[in-house]
Amino acid sequence: EKWAATRPKHPPTRVALQHFDATYTAQLGQLWPSVRIALLSERKYGALINNFSQDAGFADLEAQGCRDFISFRDGEAGSSFEHIDANSQQPFPLHLSQNIRCFVFPKGDTTRFKPAKPDQFGLLCYYLMDAASVLPCLALDVQEGHTVLDLCAAPGGKTLALLQTHMIGYLCINDSSVSRTLRLKKVLQSYVPKQFLADDRLRITSFDGTKWGEIESNTFDRVLVDVPCTTDRHSLMEDDNNIFSKSRTVQAACPGGEILYSTCTLSLNQNLNVVEQGIYLAEKNHDIRLQVVSLQHLTKMFRNTFHFAPDLHLGEMVIPHLTANFGPIYLCKLRRLN
Amino acid sequence: TSQAPQHPHETSPVPGGPVRDLSLRSLTDMGFTDCQAGQIFETVSSLRGGGAKHVLSTLTVLFVLGLNPSSVLKLLVKCPELYSVKDTQLQQRISNLRKLGLLEGSLQRTVAHYPKILTVPAKSVKSVAVFLREKCLFTTQQITDILRDSPAVVLEDQDQLEYKFQYVYFRMGIKQAEMVKSRLFRFHLDEVRCRHSFLERRGLYQTPDKKGQTSIINPKLDSILSADQDTFVSQVAQASVEEYNVFRELLAREWKEEELQQGRIEAD
Ligand SMILES: C[S@@+](CC[C@H](N)C(=O)[O-])C[C@H]1O[C@@H](n2cnc3c(N)ncnc32)[C@H](O)[C@@H]1O
Repeated sequence: EKWAATRPKHPPTRVALQHFDATYTAQLGQLWPSVRIALLSERKYGALINNFSQDAGFADLEAQGCRDFISFRDGEAGSSFEHIDANSQQPFPLHLSQNIRCFVFPKGDTTRFKPAKPDQFGLLCYYLMDAASVLPCLALDVQEGHTVLDLCAAPGGKTLALLQTHMIGYLCINDSSVSRTLRLKKVLQSYVPKQFLADDRLRITSFDGTKWGEIESNTFDRVLVDVPCTTDRHSLMEDDNNIFSKSRTVQAACPGGEILYSTCTLSLNQNLNVVEQGIYLAEKNHDIRLQVVSLQHLTKMFRNTFHFAPDLHLGEMVIPHLTANFGPIYLCKLRRLN
Repeated sequence: TSQAPQHPHETSPVPGGPVRDLSLRSLTDMGFTDCQAGQIFETVSSLRGGGAKHVLSTLTVLFVLGLNPSSVLKLLVKCPELYSVKDTQLQQRISNLRKLGLLEGSLQRTVAHYPKILTVPAKSVKSVAVFLREKCLFTTQQITDILRDSPAVVLEDQDQLEYKFQYVYFRMGIKQAEMVKSRLFRFHLDEVRCRHSFLERRGLYQTPDKKGQTSIINPKLDSILSADQDTFVSQVAQASVEEYNVFRELLAREWKEEELQQGRIEAD
């Protein structure tokens, strides 16, 4: 019948939605209805600029009314990230890479991006991804010459953002799924010139990330753990994912190294609890002490682009909102002390 | 004294006569002020075609309905098409509305509020009534109420009307009596769907299950529809205007894409 056509295309089951309503009302309170409708509506993208491409396509993007949210921050002094809150847990300033650029349409603007065009060498000028997914890469704070591990890398959006920094000494890219790793390789080939993908610069593997600490420990300056999770946008089943807490991924970082844990779920189970448990188990089982690094200044810097969940006691979370329909992305940064 | 020769004044009004020519005089004779008469005269003269002939008798029918000169003029300003409706047709349309239950008082109010209803052939109005009775199972009294409160239904596309009914009945789980009470048919289908979808995706509205039950209390249809947009957004949906504006855009895009999809499936 005609009215049937008015149903949502992928109707989540009533039971699943009710479970969601219960969980997230408890978690987000009055914010939940706005998050809910954003999850059930078209999401927004960002265009990660590929600075390996000859034609970055800026002019085109700017003419359409979008801007790089990283360099363009309303009401924010350009160098504000050097100011550090007195009560912040962050002892060192975060250096935002000047090379990572991501264009977005302004708040409330629903214009879509056109597909990226290839330059004369066939490299695409931008990569469309959730703009909030760039935050973990910025927060990872890669420095010149760093050895970096991207543990769950496919399809490669964050890998690509990390490569834009041009600062990485050696990059290990891993994803346990072989087919997804192949996809990631294709992405890299469409965006990065061959010489930057040479063996002396990076390595692509398909190991089970939970075993990484056994394979290679005390090695990396930076570790990005973008765990697989049942994403709230596509699925309504939930189970906590312990790839982080139960594993030895923190062992992969060298002492003083930093680990960025991120997920794309709103679930506190998959987020805070996993991190807390991970910290606890690292100390208990491996005698590794981890310190939480505050990301508050990051949320302050980008509060005009994203909606952040208020008052998380651990990490930060971008929550979807119709006017800025990015996320959900949870991120938490840890420093290995010993 | 010799009898004055009869000067047949061809333009003088013949009370009750079948054909009178339209003149300022004939209009003031009917009770219009000079100024009102001038206004009508001008409009009619500017109308193309021979509509002017029956204007006086058409006006008479409106007077007989019980409207006074200034309400008649208001009607004509709102709906100049009425000038070209023949008095006999007008008569027929009015008596049809009476048959459908619009009695004295509500008939006049309906006509005054929506004069266009008199431009619609009695046959079409009847078919809308039949449609409401047979396809939507409204009672006779409910149909009268619909015609009185939402006379524009008589000009709405019947497929649209059916879709609107089915949407509210099946998707929103609302019965006929409540539809009538909240004057559903005054509102455009897109507006109804948009407000409902907004609430539904925010988790504030549920389609009742087979037993008619929901796990939340749905807001009343009346409170969803009759509030102006700002009130709806802030009070009923407890959201911001910015969110609603974005949502409308996204939803319109979803509908367009669904239609394209639908078109593709049908073409296959
Ligand atoms: C959220 S996605 C990563 C998205 C990616 N970082 C990006 O930005 O494009 C999670 C990935 O983890 C991979 N994965 C699942 N279990 C894993 C494991 N035990 N070890 C390593 N990778 C795993 C999945 O194949 C999936 O590609």
